[in-house]
Amino acid sequence: MNTYSYEKNQEQFMRALKVIPTGIYGHLGPVEGCFIPTSAYPFFSQRANGAYFWDVDGNRFIDYMCAYGPNILGYNDEDVDAAAAEQAKAGNCTTAPSSIVIDLAELMVDTVAMADWTFFAKNGGDVTSFALMVAKAATGRKKTILVKGNYHGVAPWTQKLGYPGIAAEDVSNNFYVDWNNYDQVENIVKEHPGEIACFMSTPYYHPVFADNELPAPGYWQKIRKLCTDNGIVLAIDDVRCGFRLDMAGSDHYFGFKADLMCFCKAIANGWNVSALCGTDALRDAVSSIMYTGSYWLSAVPFAAGIACIKKLKELNAPQMLIKNGRKLTEGLVDTAKNHGYKLTVTGVPSMWYMRLTEDDSLMLHQEWVAECVKRGAFFTNHHNLFMCCAITDEDISHTLDIADEAFKVLRKRPPTTINSVI
Amino acid sequence: MKDQLTMSCINLYAVLQNMENLVELDRDAKLLIENAEIAIQFAVRGGPAALLSFENGRCRLQKGKGRSNISLYFTSPEHLNKMFGGKANPIPLKGLTKTGFLKNEFTKLTDRLTYYLKPTDELLKNPEYLRINTILTANTAFFALAEIGNNDVLGRLNAGRIPDGDINVSILGEGPSLHLKARKGRLEAVKGASSAPRAIMSFADIEAANGMLNGKVDAYTCIASGTIQMKGFLPMLDHMNKLLSQVPEYLK
Repeated sequence: MNTYSYEKNQEQFMRALKVIPTGIYGHLGPVEGCFIPTSAYPFFSQRANGAYFWDVDGNRFIDYMCAYGPNILGYNDEDVDAAAAEQAKAGNCTTAPSSIVIDLAELMVDTVAMADWTFFAKNGGDVTSFALMVAKAATGRKKTILVKGNYHGVAPWTQKLGYPGIAAEDVSNNFYVDWNNYDQVENIVKEHPGEIACFMSTPYYHPVFADNELPAPGYWQKIRKLCTDNGIVLAIDDVRCGFRLDMAGSDHYFGFKADLMCFCKAIANGWNVSALCGTDALRDAVSSIMYTGSYWLSAVPFAAGIACIKKLKELNAPQMLIKNGRKLTEGLVDTAKNHGYKLTVTGVPSMWYMRLTEDDSLMLHQEWVAECVKRGAFFTNHHNLFMCCAITDEDISHTLDIADEAFKVLRKRPPTTINSVI
Repeated sequence: MKDQLTMSCINLYAVLQNMENLVELDRDAKLLIENAEIAIQFAVRGGPAALLSFENGRCRLQKGKGRSNISLYFTSPEHLNKMFGGKANPIPLKGLTKTGFLKNEFTKLTDRLTYYLKPTDELLKNPEYLRINTILTANTAFFALAEIGNNDVLGRLNAGRIPDGDINVSILGEGPSLHLKARKGRLEAVKGASSAPRAIMSFADIEAANGMLNGKVDAYTCIASGTIQMKGFLPMLDHMNKLLSQVPEYLK
């Protein structure tokens, strides 16, 4: 099996560094710790189709990051892109919005079990921030309970004191609890009666650099009751999990009903739209808040969203992704075992997290992932991975061959040392 | 905002500790102390204490108090910091007959230290100067980082987020190393590499290290371009780097 080289990627990256801070900022770039070592990874893509993308050196990757989630049907899905193209001919960013916004809102309300209404924006962070505003407007309170390690975007309230650009006031209304620890939530509610506006969490625990954890039996049901009894808005950040667990929403998957649900990544297969869904009880609060953006009512992503959601339903996508994710991850675990390694897989198989155990530095895992990437299976080191509907059995089989060869390389390699060239 | 207690700890434990390396790396400095047998106690009311010893041609800085020939007292962390800025004098409590060492050899040593810690582009063209500057600047930065993590209000938050373990910081090949020990939110900088690091930050070469440490290129660009490479348990490095970004606030 040939390994990839990245000369043109490097050339482009050097160009980028001159005019763009860090070359590629944020989670798609090399400074966020998910591309270890950076030399094993491509930086820029040339094109994408189905389950694959090709980098600027022409290397093909089976993409298990799916653009960090938005690619759910497969890149350049014909039905979604045709719907988007048709709407583009009719109009996109217009003074009076296209009535297609109503069509997508109706589809969201019909699809998401808890939803009585939908409000559209662009990114996941737009709607998680809006969810907090809605909760505060509805309750007249200002405090929020968040789970340590959860990711809700990059707005100042989602970050930590001591991080660059963050002031104490940005996070002063946040309380933090451990995942699955109901007692901590209850204690904060008791200690701050009438002060908590919102409890926000992802539906299950999927941070970076940690095994993912599903909710303990009864956890969400107890949280739901606690919120209801104390007038607290229960907001679920379904930006990452949305439509990869359940088309009706991840609260539905785990057997409870949220007050607010944030969607983004899987709505429109890469076309830019996010959504906050809510219950009737919060409709007035939403209406009272001035919250919008220049492109939030653009019509093309709405057309793409309608086509995407309809197709996801036809395919029963969550079930398909979970089934294929299980097939892949069980294969990876077995392949590791054949070479004497233990690969731990956690989370839901449609967006699993994996790590080689018996090494708390994670260096062994990083070396194995790097060997996989250099052979065409695109994994990041310490973020959950994603399945998309375009991944075939053949792709899975090829991925397992890559994993097998990567383990062989790992087995032959001497242990990592302080001065080893990474 | 610069905290005086943190600054005083940096002055003693990050800046002054460079004397250890200076007398090994710089011939002039080595000659200055080759016959010195003296220990200087620095004591700060409401602040840090350190014992700086010269013996057998070597120098050693220990945290805390010990047997000394000269004892210098400072009424507050701010008093010590002013002395390091050349705007105040210490109160000598012991060793009045030995002040000759302070006025002569010790002053010359601090001049040599300043020479190496305040580089110019011209000086950096000399490979030996660049090597010594890199080692001393790296020591200063990472020992200062530990003091910021242990004392500064915001620094303590980021130090508390560093999972337990050792972080190696090294220059690839035969370059110098140091490591940072993180244990329950407390940090300790140690010269030399840890044999069991949980995370590693390595510079491609001494020029790369020097460029970043002297602020000629930012750490994120170095990471992006691969001149700084990281591996292991990255959350340790992520929070260490946030502390590192606080260092210039104290040392500018």
